[in-house]
Amino acid sequence: MKRITWMKFGIIITVLTLGAGTSSADGTFRYATVGEPPSLDQHVLTSDLATTIAHHMFEGLYTFNEANEPVPLLASGETISEDSKVITITLRDDVMFHNGQNMTSADVVASLNRWGEHGARGGLLYTNVESVEATGDYEVTITLKTPFGPWKNIMGFINGGPAIYPVSIMENAGKEPISPENYIGTGPYKFSEWQPNRHVELVKFDGYVSPEGAADGYAGMRVAEFDTLRFIPVPDVGTRVAGLKAGDYHYAESIPGDLYADLDADPDVRTILNGGPIFGLVFVNSKEGLLKDNFALRRAIQTAIDKVPALQVAIGPEGLWRANGSFLPEGNVWYSESGIENYSMGDSESARMMAEEAGYTGEPIKFMVSTNYSHHYDSAVVYTRQLLEAGFNIDLQVYDWATLIEKRAQPDQWDMFFTHHGFVPDPILITVMNENYPGWWSTEDKISLKSRFTEASDPAERQAIWSEIQGLIYEQVPTMKTGDIYTYNIASPGLNGLGEATLIWPHFWNVSN
Amino acid sequence: MLVYTFKRLLACIPTLLIASILVFLFIHLIPGDPVAILLGDAATPEDIAALTYEMGLDQPIWTQYLLWLGNVLQGDLGTSIFFHEPVLSVIADGAETSILLALMTMIWIVVFGIPIGILSATRHGSWVDQITSGGAMLFASIPTFWLGLYLILIFSVGLGWFPSSGFPSISDDGGLLNIRFLVLPSLTLAAPNAALIIRLVRASMLDVSREDHVRTAKAKGLHPMAVSLRHIFRNALIAVAAAFGFTFAALVSEAVVTETVFSLPGIGRLVVQSILRRDYPVIQGVILIIVVLYIIINLLVDLAYARLDPRVSLK
Amino acid sequence: MIIMQRVLWIFKGRRLALIGLFWLCLVAVVALIAPLLAPFDPFEINPIMRLSEPGIPYLFGTDHFGRDSFSRSVYGARMAIIIGLGSVSVALIVGGVVGMLSAYFNRLGHFLMRVVDVLMAFPALLLALVLMTLLERSVTNTIIVIGIVYATTTARILFGMTLKLKEEVFIDAAKCAGAGHGALLFRHILPNLISPILVQASFIFAFAQLQAAALDFLGLGLPPEIPSWGNMLSEERIYVTRAPWLLIFPGALIILSVFSMNLVGDVLRDKVDPRFKLDIKGI
Repeated sequence: MKRITWMKFGIIITVLTLGAGTSSADGTFRYATVGEPPSLDQHVLTSDLATTIAHHMFEGLYTFNEANEPVPLLASGETISEDSKVITITLRDDVMFHNGQNMTSADVVASLNRWGEHGARGGLLYTNVESVEATGDYEVTITLKTPFGPWKNIMGFINGGPAIYPVSIMENAGKEPISPENYIGTGPYKFSEWQPNRHVELVKFDGYVSPEGAADGYAGMRVAEFDTLRFIPVPDVGTRVAGLKAGDYHYAESIPGDLYADLDADPDVRTILNGGPIFGLVFVNSKEGLLKDNFALRRAIQTAIDKVPALQVAIGPEGLWRANGSFLPEGNVWYSESGIENYSMGDSESARMMAEEAGYTGEPIKFMVSTNYSHHYDSAVVYTRQLLEAGFNIDLQVYDWATLIEKRAQPDQWDMFFTHHGFVPDPILITVMNENYPGWWSTEDKISLKSRFTEASDPAERQAIWSEIQGLIYEQVPTMKTGDIYTYNIASPGLNGLGEATLIWPHFWNVSN
Repeated sequence: MLVYTFKRLLACIPTLLIASILVFLFIHLIPGDPVAILLGDAATPEDIAALTYEMGLDQPIWTQYLLWLGNVLQGDLGTSIFFHEPVLSVIADGAETSILLALMTMIWIVVFGIPIGILSATRHGSWVDQITSGGAMLFASIPTFWLGLYLILIFSVGLGWFPSSGFPSISDDGGLLNIRFLVLPSLTLAAPNAALIIRLVRASMLDVSREDHVRTAKAKGLHPMAVSLRHIFRNALIAVAAAFGFTFAALVSEAVVTETVFSLPGIGRLVVQSILRRDYPVIQGVILIIVVLYIIINLLVDLAYARLDPRVSLK
Repeated sequence: MIIMQRVLWIFKGRRLALIGLFWLCLVAVVALIAPLLAPFDPFEINPIMRLSEPGIPYLFGTDHFGRDSFSRSVYGARMAIIIGLGSVSVALIVGGVVGMLSAYFNRLGHFLMRVVDVLMAFPALLLALVLMTLLERSVTNTIIVIGIVYATTTARILFGMTLKLKEEVFIDAAKCAGAGHGALLFRHILPNLISPILVQASFIFAFAQLQAAALDFLGLGLPPEIPSWGNMLSEERIYVTRAPWLLIFPGALIILSVFSMNLVGDVLRDKVDPRFKLDIKGI
């Protein structure tokens, strides 16, 4: 018995010493993710993680360049009628699907229709669409009911957006996300396998025909340098950092701000900022409860909160956050200063008086937050203390994300909840603009401003209307922006072709070892 | 023996039935909606209701249970809501990691636990005994995630000896060598469990050494070492065999924390993730399989016990 | 004085265990007078002083909220004792009642022990996880869940020991003297089980600490704002290289306390009636 044991031990040790020397196969790129997305179907899913993986496989008609402008990807161009109601899009004729078929207008129409009916952001455009027709093998015509300014921004935003799938797959697709065996797109990588909890693997697509032009943001040349991309779920952040340092991963996402200085100084690690900041949002219940339409009381709450300490605690080093009240960051075309004087007052005395005038007598205010995102929880703890100091009776309810999502759909369960929002190229895509999103902000002022906003197509006019909407948000407080958070990822220093910053989601075509 | 085995198996059926009802009830009582999680942040209540209907999750819980039970009896554990894959294949994917991890942990336990246990029993009361028993107990007092965290820092970031996390299948590139990914996790898991085995080996050897046949052997003038190793060890093995069975069952399922720290694609993490995603079919499937495994191991241990020790009679 | 002498007699020759006992007493005292000892409010947020190194005035440094780690550790001692005593009480009361009644009344026992068997087939941590998701995160729920998990083993052990006692001559004697069920169970059987129960309690106390820390780590234990050693570890674990003190102090506190409890339990077990020795599990 004993001898056998020692023999086993010996064998293991030998195997291990041999094993430690061999590194993994070349040509495989390993990305440590925070978890696993529920699906990679871009029409239905709005998870950033899903897009980070999926935009290597699926492409839309348009995409964004470095300057966040929508430019053609699978389309080659478009013409717009005088009255802005008829859009004729011409398609590239050299695009191949992963199943070897050539992409034609039939595929595009089927994909747009399924996205319009069931897609997460499809309704934004399709409520305004009269018809979508194939008017040639490589031509699609969209007829709108009323002019709709943001159409190209919505079409270019692949997250919850109109990825193009083959018509054969769209025929059977409904509300449910399409399943992995049907992941057939046009991107430089194609789907290989999904091993639960282990990895999602994409492999180079040999039939890929790249769009022309120099690489610019997501636009231009796309070359698959690595043979294989592996997205490996590593939920524990400490393990992600340790794994990258140890050389087990090429890239790791969602790293806490407090580690930035150390990692930035570490020669074994390269830090890469994400270009578009994410921002926290505290939604207020506009359908039921104490805060339903008591805008004065909502403003009292808004006045009590000082956003800076929460950002310091939740994110850490200055430079990774900005206490910015504009919904889109400075330098962006949508930047506006309307209403931002109310963004972060931190004045508990005035808040107390305002609350009294609004008729508040200490009723409990249910504030839901999840621990799945530490910056949500950290900020909510700080706000809760500030609000308690200003005399608000905050009942902080801590849930896991799944429970929070279920509870927030029930208007009688909450008064405020914490979430965050990714960077979007057009404010129409911000969740507070959607009347069906929990919070259900649908006052008359909002609805009329919103329809003016979507009907306008002149950029300057649209910017001016957005400015008014932002002002209204600070007045009616359907949601409170917490501040801009510049997230960053870490990469192994040996990678070539990574930009200084990520546009929205990191991409690994044109990246090599 | 055959009749006994059969009877025991028969007795398992009500246990399994009660267990399955309990699991089903528990899990469906948990608040949280798998469909909402599936569709993400921008989904509207209408979307969610439509998909809930499509997936049959709006049916009364008893209907869902009976449907599920019927399918299970035909060997179909259902389809994972999250992975869109048969539950059985999701579990099979996780089982490779869990079983290899448990096996490797057992090897450490045997390699460290049994010799140290024998050592401290043969030197009963000496300083060696005190240090080994105390040390074992100290290891059993460390929170697993804390130990794992520091093992990663020292052995993969610092020394670069072992990979920090993840586990590519042994059928993947690298083949059998991929088990090097399991070295640190298995050591983390072995620490508390080795202490248990050390204690057991020590205690049972001490008990046995007080028994008559060992005393006789000593009286016959056999060398004390020979007595302790041959006689005592064989008898002590009986007790240890029992402990091994349970430790193995526990390792497969109690590795939740270790698998989370090291991001291993095992059963334990699968359960936690599935609970967080409310992936009901997977949770039910895994727990059912673990309960069955537990019952089988329980039975095997009892049978082994009877084989090893003629004094134990099966009734 | 007499108690002290008795304790010293029990711990004779077990110096390490005596130190452990001393440490546990210290933790208990700290827990009792936590508000007097803690220099800061454990909930006080101070972003400017966040992640300060240990020193004056922050003996154990500060966490990422800028809260004083020492004050949180002091209140954490209180939480450790509450979790420990709470889980032990739940486990002993539920497990004790089920185990003893099952052994005493055969028919009832058959049914109850079957239920216990079913529950024991669930791995402890999984059972705790499912229960914690079902209930919500709170101190009471954590105590109940951990208590229930250990109630099953306790029931099993007490079942076995009561069965053995039932066969003893003195029970028959008491029965002949006309003792009722209650008197038999509580006046004759229970007193004989006190010392093994005490040993079992000490091990449950130790395990409960680790189990609670594991639940905290998985995000399903105590509410995150509660200052407990497990929460401190799991909340600050990303700072392991940036602010190592945040993991070393609470980690050391848990290890020392669990270790001490195990040592004490070990000593107590050696003094237990040899009839029951095999029944008691532990480390």
